Amino acid sequence: MKIEGTHELNASPERVYETLIDPAVLQRCIPGCERLEKTGENSYSTTLRAGVGSIKGTFTGNIRLEEMQPPQHFRIIVEGKGQPGFLKGSGDLDIEARDGVTAVAYKGDVQVGGTIASVGQRMIQGAAKMMATQFFTAIEAEAKTESHEPPPKHGFFRTALRWFSGLIRRK
Amino acid sequence: MIPAQFDYLTPATIDEAVGLLAQHSDEAKVLAGGHSLIPAMKLRLANPQVLIDIGRIKDLAYIREEGGQIRIGAMTTHYQLESSDRLREICPLLPECAAQIGDVQVRNKGTIGGSVAHSDPAGDWPAAIIALGAEIVAVSATGERTINATDFFVDMLTTALEPGEILREIRIAAPAGRFGQSYLKVPQPASGFAVVGVAVSLTRDASGKCQSASVGITGVASKVYRASGVEQAITGTDLNEQTVTAASTHATDGVSVNGDLYASEAYRRHLAQVYTRRAIEAAASRAR
Repeated sequence: MKIEGTHELNASPERVYETLIDPAVLQRCIPGCERLEKTGENSYSTTLRAGVGSIKGTFTGNIRLEEMQPPQHFRIIVEGKGQPGFLKGSGDLDIEARDGVTAVAYKGDVQVGGTIASVGQRMIQGAAKMMATQFFTAIEAEAKTESHEPPPKHGFFRTALRWFSGLIRRK
Repeated sequence: MIPAQFDYLTPATIDEAVGLLAQHSDEAKVLAGGHSLIPAMKLRLANPQVLIDIGRIKDLAYIREEGGQIRIGAMTTHYQLESSDRLREICPLLPECAAQIGDVQVRNKGTIGGSVAHSDPAGDWPAAIIALGAEIVAVSATGERTINATDFFVDMLTTALEPGEILREIRIAAPAGRFGQSYLKVPQPASGFAVVGVAVSLTRDASGKCQSASVGITGVASKVYRASGVEQAITGTDLNEQTVTAASTHATDGVSVNGDLYASEAYRRHLAQVYTRRAIEAAASRAR
């Protein structure tokens, strides 16, 4: 499945870039991220607990960043699996200043398999968009915060914990 | 196909149910008709530790008329709504929508409250509920509140219900004057869910012009929405073929359309326009 989109953030490209590759920030901003540990240069292992209302699933996986060209571009490679299914994908992020804001364009290809893909296929794209929006909203809040200030609190956890719920009504 | 272990609670009253929910909020899930939640549990996509079954509470399944409103209890099944002669007379959109949900088994067991609270992005009820400008009554241990349908559906599978709240009733202002309604959908052949579903409710004035119109569309985006561009384009017109066709091209204005293996984004957008036109035409012809 292809996913793409653009989010405009109210912060400088340098600050957005810095924020996007900071593991501590990512852990706070990725919906449902419980753990993000460095395993090497620009590579991390992670545990995500994502879900909606009734449906919660735990995923473990790896995230790798490549083609780092601050402050314009990097490539992210993700793979993960859990009880509800697995996913594998990669995407390019391009960051540019545009009329006083910073536009982050992402474009990627993700493969989703397992139970989630077989019964929830129709919701995957919507769920991906929803999570991307939550992620970039949180990133924007982070990027606006100066480094000496305490990190912002993100109000999306409840929504993030609900997106998985009832991927199906019947099959 | 066997769910994980869970505790099963059967409150006898709604007060008891909200009390139990307040006690268990995080790990509990409210069970209505069970036609979304149970399959998800069997696939272990949902693993609630506690199920609070509100199916044994008396007086949660009803269709009443009170103070110019139609009041529908949360546990009213799709079939009860589909087969109500009174509704066919005073608000035919409800039985028309109910008749197109899933299959006989789903309609016999599934409930309007469960479906609305679940907020499936392709569910049929949300389109009708939003087109009828319904109000949703939510009850919690601390009291009761009313939520407008447009505010209720927040995002995919996400509603304005707080963790300790149970949807108790749906209230709809009884349509008056020369009104016409319709619900048309393209069902996904395997699941029965709406690939696109369009609910229309409109009224005409004495001269036959469209006085008010509301259009609810499901299946297209991450949540149900009102197609306000379409509504504005037909209000005040005589609903002739050209006007309706032109108005329908606004069906997905400002909406991020989703695609899946069955229907691409472009195909869904096209279906939304065609079904919006047909649904308006059907509603208009009934409002004569």
